[in-house]
Amino acid sequence: MTTILVVDDEFLISDLLANALEDQGYRVTQAYHGRKALEVLAQETPALVVTDFMMPLMNGLELARAIRGNAHWQHLPIILLSGAQGSIAREHPSLFNEVFDKPFPVRQLLARIQDLAGPPDDPPP
Amino acid sequence: MPQTLQRFTSGIEGLDQIMGGGFVADSTYIIHGHPGSGKTILGNQIAFHRASQGDTVLYVTLLAESHERLFAFLSTLNFFDPPRLGQRINYVSAFSIMDNEGLDGVIRLLRREIPRQGATLLVLDGLLNAREKAASAFDMKKFIAELQSNAVFTNCTALLLTSARFEESSPEYTMVDGIIELREEELGVRSIRRLRVRKSRGSSALSGLHQYEIRQAGLVTYPRLESVSGATYPADDPTSERTSSGIAEVDRLLGGGLPSGSTTLLIGPSGVGKTSWGLHYLTPDSPEPALHFGFYESPQRLQLKASALGRDLSGLRAQGSLWIEWRSPVERLVDAVAIDLLAIVEKRGIKRLFLDGLQALENSITTPRRFGAFLSVLFNELRARGVTTLATLEMGDLFDTTPHLSSPDTLSIADNIVLMRLVERDGRIHRVFSVVKVRDSAFDPVLHDFEITDHGIRIYNRLLGRAFTPSFSVPNDDPV
Repeated sequence: MTTILVVDDEFLISDLLANALEDQGYRVTQAYHGRKALEVLAQETPALVVTDFMMPLMNGLELARAIRGNAHWQHLPIILLSGAQGSIAREHPSLFNEVFDKPFPVRQLLARIQDLAGPPDDPPP
Repeated sequence: MPQTLQRFTSGIEGLDQIMGGGFVADSTYIIHGHPGSGKTILGNQIAFHRASQGDTVLYVTLLAESHERLFAFLSTLNFFDPPRLGQRINYVSAFSIMDNEGLDGVIRLLRREIPRQGATLLVLDGLLNAREKAASAFDMKKFIAELQSNAVFTNCTALLLTSARFEESSPEYTMVDGIIELREEELGVRSIRRLRVRKSRGSSALSGLHQYEIRQAGLVTYPRLESVSGATYPADDPTSERTSSGIAEVDRLLGGGLPSGSTTLLIGPSGVGKTSWGLHYLTPDSPEPALHFGFYESPQRLQLKASALGRDLSGLRAQGSLWIEWRSPVERLVDAVAIDLLAIVEKRGIKRLFLDGLQALENSITTPRRFGAFLSVLFNELRARGVTTLATLEMGDLFDTTPHLSSPDTLSIADNIVLMRLVERDGRIHRVFSVVKVRDSAFDPVLHDFEITDHGIRIYNRLLGRAFTPSFSVPNDDPV
């Protein structure tokens, strides 16, 4: 089943996005900071990572660097959800496949996720 | 020898003065206030100020509210500087960690995150949620103790924001180094915000309540004037010099003019001519910097009034020896007005002040019987700056003989008093005045009448030896 890893310290955003992805037919795993995300990645490799920027212990930029620096995950699609830090992220185009500024249009985000991760195994009727 | 504690500034106007020079570094403070009192603004304002000074700030929320909503709200305030986000200021949510791992999880997060980011300021927003998560008062005490020890060991000052009410015996109150309380009170149709430093360990904060406002610049606090009296200026140094009232005959009655550096109350009913007297005071022959600070007449109206009296304000304003400042008479914070006035006096080097409409200040006083103490300190501050002040105070009724004051000591704090009255006799109104008091000086107390003409105020001495009786009539004497 196509799995998306959502990484965000703010549970409201993380849960909303997870629900939207599950409604599309994706399987979702969640982590509330970068370090936790690396622990999840060590267990299973998702089809795509959606990450926030500002998070405790390891931020989105550090997480993306860690993913790109690992031979197993270096081609893993990463989407950054950024507040005011979009410009910082855009200075590192090789780290992120896409950057969405918050508040982001959910439909566009879901469409981009489908482009990069492929369609869900079990799409809604 | 006593040690001096290291402090850092908050960047909030007035607050550092109230705090005795700023926040003590590596200490833990609670900022307490009801929702809407401005504590989140205060925490963020300090965070952005410290970031602008090169510090790194960690802003941790224990709230369910998203950071994006917070940023959207902060973006309406001047201090919000998005490029600092993710650089000098990092906002992280510890809500999920607290939910899943409890308060121990939050402490573990802070222990790792503060040194990782090199943060010297921690703002923890939502202490109430931590209290609700704590299983017992002991757990809360342990949480505060760990936050506090963390602040000391990591050289990171902690500001804990909470809307919780707590008693003086609570762990929060007893353990932290300082407590700042923000409160909003309703007075009639007005809402007044006040700030109080309830606890300030190892530091002398200004006691009592201080007013504050939330403006586009963020929080602006106004130290209560009485609490800062004499802090920046020594007591006045009385001299025997005199300052002209702008009317030669009045100077003679005063014993040579207004004593320099003194305060004079011009008391009278509406329409008697107090502002006209003030315009003479502002336009003498001497070039001393003068200020009209008033509440009722706009600069344009004042200009027209002066022209009608044959006094030239525009010339003096153009040459930079006269300034006119007009403030709304309603919804004022008196301490804000006093700070505003004293700042202008200092900036312009004002020596001659006409303060027109003390009743506007009196009406703005929100604490009963405070006006006398406030005015006393304001006059002292003006004296200490070498300002000779003429201030008007209105009587409640056109034909009153005594002013109605909320503080009975108002009259005793002025150095000099001139009483103006309207008298109805023989089918017309007469304007009369007398010098009632000139501190430490002889003066002429004789009642005089005066007229306001297109050449200015003309003083007459047509009342000497005459009683005000219904048969009294005013002769056509020449001016004295």
